[in-house]
Amino acid sequence: MAREFQRGHKARLSDLTAGTDLYIGVQITGPGLAFDISCFGLDADERLSDDRYFVFYNQPESPEGAIRQLGPQAGDTESFRVTFDEVPDAVRRLSFTATLDGDGQMSQVAPGYLRIVAGGEEVARYAFDGSEFTTERAVMLGDFYVKDVWRFAAVGQGFDGGLAALLQHFGGEVAEEARAPEGEAAEAPGFAPPAGPAPAFAPPPGGPPSPPPAPAPVQPPPPAPVPQQPAASVPQHAAPTIAAPMPAPVAQPPGPPQPPPGSYAPPGVPAQASPPGFGQQPPGQAVPGGYGVPQQGGAGLRVSLEKYREVPVGRRWTLQNGQLVRADLGVDPQPVLARQGSMVLYQGDVDFSHKSAGFVGRVVGQATGQEMQLMRCAGRGQVFFADDSSHLHPIELQGDGICVSAENVLAFDETLHYEVRRIEGHGIPGGVLFTMQFQGTGTVVVKTHGTPVVLPVTPMTYADAQAVVAWSSAAQVIVSSQVRLRRTAYPGHSGESVNLQFRGAPGNFIVVQPYEV
Amino acid sequence: MTQQPLAGYAPTPPAARMENHGSHILKVAMASGQDVYARTGSMISYEGFVQYEPNPPAVRQQAAQWLTGEGAPLMRCHGDGLLYLADYGAEVVVVHLADDSVSVNGTNLLAFDAHLQFGVERVKGLAKLAGQGLFNVTVAGTGWVALTSRGTPVVVDCGRGEDETYVDPDALVAWSTRLKVKGKRSFKASALIGRGSGEAFQLGFSGQGFVVVQPSEDSADRLRVRG
Repeated sequence: MAREFQRGHKARLSDLTAGTDLYIGVQITGPGLAFDISCFGLDADERLSDDRYFVFYNQPESPEGAIRQLGPQAGDTESFRVTFDEVPDAVRRLSFTATLDGDGQMSQVAPGYLRIVAGGEEVARYAFDGSEFTTERAVMLGDFYVKDVWRFAAVGQGFDGGLAALLQHFGGEVAEEARAPEGEAAEAPGFAPPAGPAPAFAPPPGGPPSPPPAPAPVQPPPPAPVPQQPAASVPQHAAPTIAAPMPAPVAQPPGPPQPPPGSYAPPGVPAQASPPGFGQQPPGQAVPGGYGVPQQGGAGLRVSLEKYREVPVGRRWTLQNGQLVRADLGVDPQPVLARQGSMVLYQGDVDFSHKSAGFVGRVVGQATGQEMQLMRCAGRGQVFFADDSSHLHPIELQGDGICVSAENVLAFDETLHYEVRRIEGHGIPGGVLFTMQFQGTGTVVVKTHGTPVVLPVTPMTYADAQAVVAWSSAAQVIVSSQVRLRRTAYPGHSGESVNLQFRGAPGNFIVVQPYEV
Repeated sequence: MTQQPLAGYAPTPPAARMENHGSHILKVAMASGQDVYARTGSMISYEGFVQYEPNPPAVRQQAAQWLTGEGAPLMRCHGDGLLYLADYGAEVVVVHLADDSVSVNGTNLLAFDAHLQFGVERVKGLAKLAGQGLFNVTVAGTGWVALTSRGTPVVVDCGRGEDETYVDPDALVAWSTRLKVKGKRSFKASALIGRGSGEAFQLGFSGQGFVVVQPSEDSADRLRVRG
C-alpha cells in the first residue's frame, strides 16, 4: 500500500521499504506547460559542490551511476533510478525538482505526484496540484536526505525565478532557506541549461530502458542484457527498473526478506539464467550468489513481515490498513457496537455480547427478514474488525449526521445516536431500503466494496439504490423511476429503472461504491 | 498494437528465490535441484522448463490426514525457469525463514521450498472446530515460504502484556510456533461471535511471538474446488 505524503511530511526510507534501489517517478503536467525534472545531489551543506551530481536531461547519470534518469515511462513525466547504497558519502541530499520550461507558473499545474517504487510496488506517493503553488516557476518536490539514515521528505516549495533561482539556491548564495551560510561552495554556472526541448534522453519506447551501462563494480558487465530482450516483449520496464543490474546486496525489493548472509545462497540458482529464452532475465544479472543475497542479517521472518506490523496504539479508532480497523477500548472505555462476526482478533479482556435487537433489529428484521445483527464489545483491550476484505472508512462525526445504508455499517461507537430510516419506493429490491442515521459525536466505520466515489450533491445527483453507501443526512432522498411509455416494447430494457435522487444544499455529499450488492 | 499501457506490468528480473509480482502474484525462480512445493492448481504461468508432480509421496505421507484424505493439495515443481503462482487474487506474502519455523493455516499456504521440513497437524484441543478441525502446516528450516491472505494482513505481537490474544479461526493466517494455542469458547447465552454459525469460538495465543491475521473471515479453500 502506497503511503500518502503531504507537503512537509517526512519518513525514514527504511520505514517505507527495505529496498535501497528505488525508482522515483514524477508526474507533473499542465496545459501548455513543459517541465524539466532534475535531481540535485547536494553535500552536507546543501550545496551542489560537485556538478556531476546534477542529473538532468543533459547529464542523465551521476559518475558512479547511483542516480540515473530514465525518461518518461509508466505514466510518469520523468523517472529516476537511485541506488542509495552507491551514493557517495559526499552526497547527503538528493533534491528532486521540477522547473518550468517556457511561460507559465506552477499554480497552473494539473494534479501530479512524486512517487517511490520499490520492487515494482509503489511504496510512497506525494501528490500535489496547482493549488499548493502560486507564481513559482521552479519547485523542489521531494528530498531524500541523510540524517543517520536515508529519509524522504515531501517538500513542495518553490522559487519564482525558475531554474536560475534554483541553481542559485543550491549553488552558493544564501537563499531563504539557507541553512549553511558559507557561500564559497562551487557555483554551478555551467548549467543553467537553455530552455531546450524536454527530455532529449527519452529511452526509445521499444527498447528496454532499464539497464544502461553497468554501474556496479561488482557487476560483471552484463552480456548485453538489452538486445537479449525479444523485440515483442513489453517495451518498458516501467516502474520495475529496480532489480536491474546491481551489486548483489542491493537486490532487495521490499517484499522478500533479507536472509542472513551466506545462509541461503543457492549456488544453483544463478545458473538458472542460462536458458536464453527468458526475456526479462539478462544473464548478466545473475551475479553469482546474487539471488536474494542478504543485505543484512536480520531474522528473515521478522523483517519480511515488518510492513504488516500493527500500527502504534494511540487513538480510539485506527485504520490498520485499508481493510482492517482497530478499536482501542483502553483509550476510552465506551463500548463499541459492531456487526456480528466482524471481529477478527482481539487482545485483552473484551466481552462480546449480543446486542439485543432493539429498534434496529426489529424493524429491519420484520421487514426484510435480514436482521442486522449487532454485537456489543465492552471491556479493555484492542479489537480488530474487518469484513470480507472490504475497504473500511472510519468517519468521525462531530455533532453532524450521516445516513449509511444498513448493509455498509461495520462498527460504531455506542455513544452515537442512531435510528433506522426506511426508504420505500416502487422497484427497490426488497421493496425498501434501510439506512441507519447516525448523529452525535463518535466514529462510524463504513465498509465499501472497492474504492468508493464521493459526489457532491447537485440538483442532478442520482445513485443506484444498491450501490449507494452513505450520504450526509441533510440531503434529501427521492426515489425516481425512469418510466418510458414504450418500455413494454423492450423486454430487455436498460435494467437501471429505479434510482435515488439526492437533493440538498451545497456541501452535502453522497458516497457510492463500485459494487451493487 | 501499442503495449504502452501494459508496460508497467512487465516482470522484473528475479532478485530473490521467491518474490512478489504486484501484490497478488508470486514469482519463483526455479532451478534444478531446488524444488518447490506449491498448492495444486495455483500455477498461473511459467517460463522455461518446469514440471509438476501432483501428490508426491513425501507429501502424501505427511498429509495423510489432511482433511478428508482425497490426496494432498500440494504438488512438487521442479525444473528451470520462472514460475508464477496465485490463489484467486489473494494477497501474497513472501517470507524467508532463517532457521526459524512458522505455522500456517492450510488454506493460506501457497508455496515453500522443498528442502524445508514440514508437518501437517491438527490444532489440538479443537477437534470439533468448524466441524472439520483446523489443519495447519508447520514449516521449519532455512528457506522461502509464500503465504496468501484475503486482503492486506496484519501482524500482531503477542505477549505484549499479560493478556492473551484471541483470533477468529477463519481469519487466522499464520503464527509463530513458539506460541501456545488453545481454543476458547465464549458460549454465554446469546454471545454470538463468528460467522453466523451460532458457535462462538476463538483461538487464544499466549507466549512470545506474532500472529498474522487477514481482514476477512473467508477461509474457503478455492483451490480445492478444482480437485
